[in-house]
Amino acid sequence: MGRLIVVACGAGINTSTIAEDSIRERMAKEGFADVEVKRILMADIEGYLTRDDLVMIVSMMKIFRTFDVPVFQGMPFLIGSQDEKNVLLDKIVEAIKKV
Amino acid sequence: MGFLSTAVGWLLGLGSSVIVMIVLIILGLVFRVGWQKAVRGGITTGVGLAGLFLVVNVIISALQPAVAEMATRFGLTKTIVDVNWADAGIAWGWPGVAGLIVSLLVVNILMVVLKMTKTLWTDVWSYWHGSALAGFVWAATGGNVFLGILAGVLYLVAGSLMSDMTAKKYQEFNDMPGIGVPCGTTVQASLFAMPVVWLLDRVPGIKDWDASPEGIKKRFGLVGEPGVLGFLLGVIIGIFAYGTTAGDLGLTKILGLGMNVAVMMMILPRMVSIIAEGIVPITMSIVQYMRERFKDREIYVAVDCAVLLGHPAVMASTIILFPLLVLLAAALPGVNMLPIASLAVVPFWAGAVVPYTKGNVIKTVIVLLLYAIPFMYFSTWMVDSQTEAYSMMGQFSEQIGQGLKLGSWDMGGDILGFFIRQIFGLFS
Repeated sequence: MGRLIVVACGAGINTSTIAEDSIRERMAKEGFADVEVKRILMADIEGYLTRDDLVMIVSMMKIFRTFDVPVFQGMPFLIGSQDEKNVLLDKIVEAIKKV
Repeated sequence: MGFLSTAVGWLLGLGSSVIVMIVLIILGLVFRVGWQKAVRGGITTGVGLAGLFLVVNVIISALQPAVAEMATRFGLTKTIVDVNWADAGIAWGWPGVAGLIVSLLVVNILMVVLKMTKTLWTDVWSYWHGSALAGFVWAATGGNVFLGILAGVLYLVAGSLMSDMTAKKYQEFNDMPGIGVPCGTTVQASLFAMPVVWLLDRVPGIKDWDASPEGIKKRFGLVGEPGVLGFLLGVIIGIFAYGTTAGDLGLTKILGLGMNVAVMMMILPRMVSIIAEGIVPITMSIVQYMRERFKDREIYVAVDCAVLLGHPAVMASTIILFPLLVLLAAALPGVNMLPIASLAVVPFWAGAVVPYTKGNVIKTVIVLLLYAIPFMYFSTWMVDSQTEAYSMMGQFSEQIGQGLKLGSWDMGGDILGFFIRQIFGLFS
């Protein structure tokens, strides 16, 4: 079974695209062929929470609830330096290795 | 000159999807993203643009006969077809888009260097607001690309200054240090909210009146879903247009219109999203460069208005606003467009207002009902140059020749854009 990371933002148009691009590139570099990165609307998240392959949520906005899977704030993808981005990507890779 | 005009004519004849593909591939190579990313981005955006116009075509053929029918039956003059974010198609497809992107990058970097603004406009996607306005001015001035770019840059410079004024508040409320949101109609909603909220806070009764966001979402949340909302609106318009059509035919038409409007509400944003999917990776390298260049200064890094949507009061206010805005537009004399696709911009406005109302649903609703009124009138008054822009890009020319008018709130009804268009209209 594959592993699914959802990147959620308010509109599913712009900000999540930026994060999705960075995460996908890193997953390819790590050789995680079974990891799927998918950007979604935060409003659509319910449908993904019940999926068995969901392993992580990267949120592009402040969220006011909790989830069963690890959640990362994706803001460094938008405004961080290259170093800050790499730190976040390292954390994501670590968390992915555990599942 | 003869050769040049032939070349330009040939380029325009390629159609906006092919033009934007070529433009983005060239930009990608200039920004050194590598040819694979450049080609993929260019083609993806071309596909998104073509898809966007496909969806608009569906909605025109469904909605136009219905609003025309309403006009003949009830004398209702709400005949402008609302296509809202189809304006992103003008923005990324008009002939001056590459010039606009490069001009704004240069102007913004200069302004930051000279400390005229703190907002570093790294969110290239959001240039679309200025670029759409530029397209309207291009159309209004009979095809003057230079005036179009000038108008677009003016608009976006004003956006950076408005972002300076609102950034701190956004940062505190959303817990996102370092960001700024210069997006068009969103940031203007914040400026509008400041005095209105000040007033509301002094009115007894309203001052402490609030509603629970969770309760609203639980009870009426379904209406907040674009597909459901679209179907409902389509059916309501259908009943007015075809309600007295005999027998099965009327019902068939009503349900069909509901489905078509639902299609537009769900697919139009997806197409815009495909356009972004192509553009964003190509502009990433320039963004990175700008960030590194100014990392020692206090800078507000521009991000998309979507980051403001987190608070529960945003969706709750939006759900209450949907029916109120449609009724208001229907009731106001001289407003000739019923908002349908344009409703999609309302959550972004709410996201910009909520930091100022401290998450109060009632106050947010009042502010935005007032804020929407100029949008209703400006989108009606400015519809001709907007429709002309579509026509000059070779889109929907046949229907436009027969009297179709295409309008929107975001960017057609934009307040700042209205004044800029008035000034540049003097050159036409």
